[in-house]
Amino acid sequence: MKRADVWLISIVLVAALAFLVPRWFSSDESKGGIGDNLVANVTVDGKLFKTVKLTKEEQTIDIRTDRGYNILKVHDYGIEMYDADCPDKVCLGFGRITRTKQTIVCLPHRVLVEIASVSGEDEVDGYVQ
Amino acid sequence: MGMSSSESATALKRTVIIAIFAAVAVVLSLVEAQIPLSGMGMVPGAKLGLANIMILTCIFFLRGRDAFLLVVLKTLLTAFILGTFSSLLFSLFGSLFSFVVMYLLMLIGGKQLSLIGISIAGGVAHNIGQLLAASMVFASLKIFYYLPMLLITGVVTGVAVGFAVRYLVTSLSKISLFEEFLDDPGDAAKG
Repeated sequence: MKRADVWLISIVLVAALAFLVPRWFSSDESKGGIGDNLVANVTVDGKLFKTVKLTKEEQTIDIRTDRGYNILKVHDYGIEMYDADCPDKVCLGFGRITRTKQTIVCLPHRVLVEIASVSGEDEVDGYVQ
Repeated sequence: MGMSSSESATALKRTVIIAIFAAVAVVLSLVEAQIPLSGMGMVPGAKLGLANIMILTCIFFLRGRDAFLLVVLKTLLTAFILGTFSSLLFSLFGSLFSFVVMYLLMLIGGKQLSLIGISIAGGVAHNIGQLLAASMVFASLKIFYYLPMLLITGVVTGVAVGFAVRYLVTSLSKISLFEEFLDDPGDAAKG
């Protein structure tokens, strides 16, 4: 290891933390409202497929295209990819997501799931009052 | 006449090295595909980048175009075997971006950066390249949510790959097949 290596590592880690740290703070604020007003926007091929409210009750969403199928499951105020027949299965690894701006991606099937708050307002506006 | 025959011998050696490296890189990619990283709490889509060991070693010993050929071969063969054609463009983008970054760093920063630094830059570039390709596919920047986590995994795997390359280069340098490639410009990055 040379000095430039250490610099490179530090720069990358600082950049990563610069993104992560504000997120930790804001997530504490929005935790109170978890599940109350969150929806998941499911898009396929860039077009909106469905918007579902994240409820405590279980719901399943079937996405069938000529590329294959994806099954999403909503439960306990979160959403997860339950099953898919894509070759890499990366989408199954995202687990259950519960916070705004978190995403599930299934690249081979061009499926994108993103959590948003139903009011459409940014969290930042939420706690100014 | 003797000159041209030694030239063709060099060209043959290059071809042999690329072929061996491609075979090893494909096997490493296949092994890597069996490791459930996301089950271990890592970001989905993050990879160990084991094949990067062969690509960086190739950049070290051979010319840029040889390493480019290796990247394309490895990506195509892996897609054939794993049947991941739908994400072929996507992984090609990541691999080529990583290759370009490592190659340029080897040329420009070869004296300042060690193989470990170059490997880290390559790992990070691979992740950024994949995110870029994915965001183009989805026409959305939302996937960049995972950028910070991927940066951190890129550093960790980059260090591991870099150490592996260092050992590999030291060992391969003792083999006669690689002897004549030791004077290449990439040599400056040794250590």
